[in-house]
Amino acid sequence: MKIPLSWLREYVDFDDTPEGLADKLTFAGVEVEGLATVGGGVEGVVVGEVTAIEKHPNADKLVLCRVNHGAAGEPWVVCGAPNAVVGGKYPFAPLGVVLPCGITIEKRKVRGTASEGMLCAEDELGISDDHTGLMELDARWAPGTALAEVMGPPETVLDVEITPDRPDCLCLVGLAREVAALYGTRLKMPANDAAESATPVETATSVKVEDLVDCPRYTARILRDVKVGPSPDWMKRRLEAAGIRAINNIVDITNYVMLETGQPLHAFDQKLLEGGRIVVRHPAPGEKIVTLDGVDRELTPEMLVIADAAKPMAVAGVMGGEFSGIGDDTTEVLLESASFRPVAIRDTSKKLELMSESAYRFIRGVDPELAEMASRRAAGLMVELASAKLLAGVVDVRGEPRKPWTVTCRPRRLATLLGMAPTAEEIAKIFESLELKVLSCTPELIEVEVPTFRGDLTREADLIEEYARLHLKNLPPVRSKATVVPDADDKPAQAQQRLREVLAGLGLQQIMNYSFLDRDLLDLFNREGAAGRVELANPLTADHTVLRDSLLPQMVETIGLNVSRQVAQAALFETGRIFRLDGEGHPIECDQVAVGLLGPVGRTGMDRFGPVGEEDMFLWIKGLWEQLATALKLRDASLRPADRPWSQPGRGMEVAVAGVAVGWLGLLRPDIAKEWRIHEPLGLFEAAVQPLVKDVGAMQELTPPPSYPSIRRDAALIVDGSVRHEQVLEIARRAAPPELEKIELFDIYQGKNLGDGRKSLAYAFTYRSPTGTLTDEAANEFQGRINAALKEQLPAEIREG
Amino acid sequence: MNLQDIENGTARALAELAAAEDLKALEALRVRYIGRNGLLPKLMQGLKDVPAADKPAMGQALNRFKTAVTDAVAGRKAALEAAARDARTGSLDISLPGRWARQGRLHPIQQLIDRTTDIFRRMGFTVANGPDIETEYYNFDALNTPPDHVSRDLADTFYLPGGLLLRTQTSAVQARYMETRQPPVRIVCPGRCYRRDTTDATHSANFHQIEGLYVDEAVSLADLKSDLDHFARELMGPGVRTRFRTHFFPFTEPSVEVDFSCHMCGGGGCRVCKQSGWIEIMGAGMVDPNVFAQVGYDPEAVTGYAFGMGIERLAMILFGIDDIRRLYENDGRYLAQF
Ligand SMILES: [Zn+2]
Repeated sequence: MKIPLSWLREYVDFDDTPEGLADKLTFAGVEVEGLATVGGGVEGVVVGEVTAIEKHPNADKLVLCRVNHGAAGEPWVVCGAPNAVVGGKYPFAPLGVVLPCGITIEKRKVRGTASEGMLCAEDELGISDDHTGLMELDARWAPGTALAEVMGPPETVLDVEITPDRPDCLCLVGLAREVAALYGTRLKMPANDAAESATPVETATSVKVEDLVDCPRYTARILRDVKVGPSPDWMKRRLEAAGIRAINNIVDITNYVMLETGQPLHAFDQKLLEGGRIVVRHPAPGEKIVTLDGVDRELTPEMLVIADAAKPMAVAGVMGGEFSGIGDDTTEVLLESASFRPVAIRDTSKKLELMSESAYRFIRGVDPELAEMASRRAAGLMVELASAKLLAGVVDVRGEPRKPWTVTCRPRRLATLLGMAPTAEEIAKIFESLELKVLSCTPELIEVEVPTFRGDLTREADLIEEYARLHLKNLPPVRSKATVVPDADDKPAQAQQRLREVLAGLGLQQIMNYSFLDRDLLDLFNREGAAGRVELANPLTADHTVLRDSLLPQMVETIGLNVSRQVAQAALFETGRIFRLDGEGHPIECDQVAVGLLGPVGRTGMDRFGPVGEEDMFLWIKGLWEQLATALKLRDASLRPADRPWSQPGRGMEVAVAGVAVGWLGLLRPDIAKEWRIHEPLGLFEAAVQPLVKDVGAMQELTPPPSYPSIRRDAALIVDGSVRHEQVLEIARRAAPPELEKIELFDIYQGKNLGDGRKSLAYAFTYRSPTGTLTDEAANEFQGRINAALKEQLPAEIREG
Repeated sequence: MNLQDIENGTARALAELAAAEDLKALEALRVRYIGRNGLLPKLMQGLKDVPAADKPAMGQALNRFKTAVTDAVAGRKAALEAAARDARTGSLDISLPGRWARQGRLHPIQQLIDRTTDIFRRMGFTVANGPDIETEYYNFDALNTPPDHVSRDLADTFYLPGGLLLRTQTSAVQARYMETRQPPVRIVCPGRCYRRDTTDATHSANFHQIEGLYVDEAVSLADLKSDLDHFARELMGPGVRTRFRTHFFPFTEPSVEVDFSCHMCGGGGCRVCKQSGWIEIMGAGMVDPNVFAQVGYDPEAVTGYAFGMGIERLAMILFGIDDIRRLYENDGRYLAQF
């Protein structure tokens, strides 16, 4: 909300700079978001009258205007504005003037014709950003009058943000009340007396309210002999500084009083009201209205309209109808000042997708007790500024009046909650400065009567906040009560942190993707999962419609984005939540971890430049999982071959913990990878986090370093190409003595000299005894047993090393 | 034999060793000076003829001689051997790029979550957790947000079928946690939140917050201030101060917005703080008695404070990130800089 300071000063005195005021208001809860000066900076610009207009010889869209600017000689200027007319008065900048927008006026040629000066639009003068035409000035200003005199002194405007709990501050009087409390001065209410004629209002109109819940109060006054015309300059300037366009004196007065008091008002042309009366009712089925903005709107029965005897004339509290408004020929005005139920207005405004200054205020809450006073104030201004005759009295239809209520505050409670200990009298003084009436005050209890405009103050906590917000700078320093909570359990969070640290330690970069995405992307990876996905009921964009049930699609998408940007190598992980429907259709969520690898990520140095084969990539993603499991101390993890919809057949494995499947790893199907123009093997891993981190921090049995040396024996097995590493291990382990400590594969070789379809697997066998140093003979004997088993069972030809 | 002779002898021996051209010459010098029949044993023997008063000084001088020559022999030997290796295989090009396994990193949002939770852990807070999919009850009702409050509007909240929603704030964890235990409560809850905001340079429909809650006997607004003062110093530097501005949140009263003095300019005004000297970091306040009543705590017996801050915003301030979308774009070259 924009607050012109000179206007604010009409209701309250304060001795401070605009910056000082902004600071105080901000701390007290009225956040000042901006501080701007409008007007000023127009030295040298004067009122110019166009005395003649001629066509520009070389341009269709330009004209030449002769301008009388109160000095000798009438210069010709080139002008492109559509609204220049002979006899019109506009701001004129003579040669040499510097405008607020930075332009210096010089004699120059425009399309071949000399222009000596400039007629100005509002944006060029820094008044607004309007550039639709020349700024039009009132006819009464003599040519040559300084524009500064026309515009009045420069105005400082505060832009304030009012929180939803303080609708009383959505007006100048409300803000002035805050300022008075902050500076210890008094609020000066605007005059609200109006001279009435003898004719009672009841002779001219009547009001019927059919729903006193949605419309708790409706007041109407009648003004006759109204002379519609422009408002005085001071009122126009204030409205425009507050961001509201001046229209005519009657409409301007309703807006002016709304900004002043917070009460939205509406003026009807009384002669356009059928039957001259008002019915506040719900629309009949199928009823429609064309609102002031020219839109034909369909009404529904839960909305509320202001109707005459026959038809809706306004959408209550939101916007008037196109044919109910004040025109130049209006002579009789019905002035509405009413209150409406906030939620009813909110629902209507939302349904019609229509917001207005008045709807905004009604939605946040307008005190019904304000209606009559604001109406009187506006009627008084209409009498004064539109020479209207006000009929006697007011039609006031209402439910039960709202009465002030009582709230108590214990100073001791205030001290506990704030950590400050003011005396009861000090607290009471603050309450009084906010126009709360202190009924009694003892060291134990302060009792106050809350005025109806402070609907937010209903409890002790609310009163304590009122004291606090004016004393936030006085909070005393205290020592921290940092304390240990005995039964709090931080371990789950620490375990998850450990998982991320291990993955980073393994050389992976963490990424973060959105929790929602396009369903097509999920389908690409797992079409069968579609039925179990959680969809957003009100998605914002078409590419964010469903919650992810896997981290892999976005992982691959991320790698694809990097590839498209020539980042050809990726070693990424993400931890995040996935969502799906359980058997009964209820959404469940699960913390998940995923890894994606592309390029020579398992190599260093110049090895990186060799091509990456499927075996490389598969063994890297598998090796990464093995490292991860070791680092997380998982002892019951296992792998078994299993394909996923996204994995290449025969290149996928299921990850199990304690025999239960918790995830998968493998190579991405090339046809999916192609979607992102990825043509190299891409390794993926995804698993649930909980089972992976269950052993983090668990106790484990330690093995002391061995006391006796080991002996190594090597053996190269020449076998059929289909023999698998795990077969070798199984046979060797079965044949081995307890002294076999480990078996390591150190070379794989396939060459012509071995014969077609054969390969050589070279293993190192390490033997050690816990009770003594092994002899060479013993080691030979052990190895002989294993070799014999391998020879027979694989079968294999063996070359010992 | 006197001390000066020994010093001169040491210098001469070292010069000769440094000049030895091959291993054979070096070995000859070694034998000559410290070998079994070399100079040193002879001098040691001569020690017995030295006057008793001079013996300690002479003894020490001879020890220095021995150490210096031994070290020089070893040093020269390593140099000659390296030269011999280089002659065979070529010299090591130490200007080659270094090699080591790859470097992993946490995402900047994660780094800030970890940094902030670690600070609060040191202050006795425990990390708590809650679901992303919430009920209206925990996200709004239990937080004293009336049914007609603007933040419930469809425009701000993502709803799911069945009346569920994606939490709009980590505050939703407050009631869940308090329901399960009695005071004292001292938790922080980092987590993902969702708002139906159009994504632009400063808004993201999916973002992270960290929530704090402390409930105990006689917790005051002054306690909140002093704890946040400590947090501000730990996070942003020793000179950083905080200030409270009155604000409105349904679930706290009084409610404040918390500014930190600018860590870049110290409060004098700069580009980071938009010349104000202060940076808005979080919302906070004293837990509303209605929130306590909802979870069955006696508002007369306990009081508490709560605070919440946006991690993305913090990341933008602390890392100087210009566009929030970069955080979710995951360009490897960008992330590798954090
Ligand atoms: Zn700064």
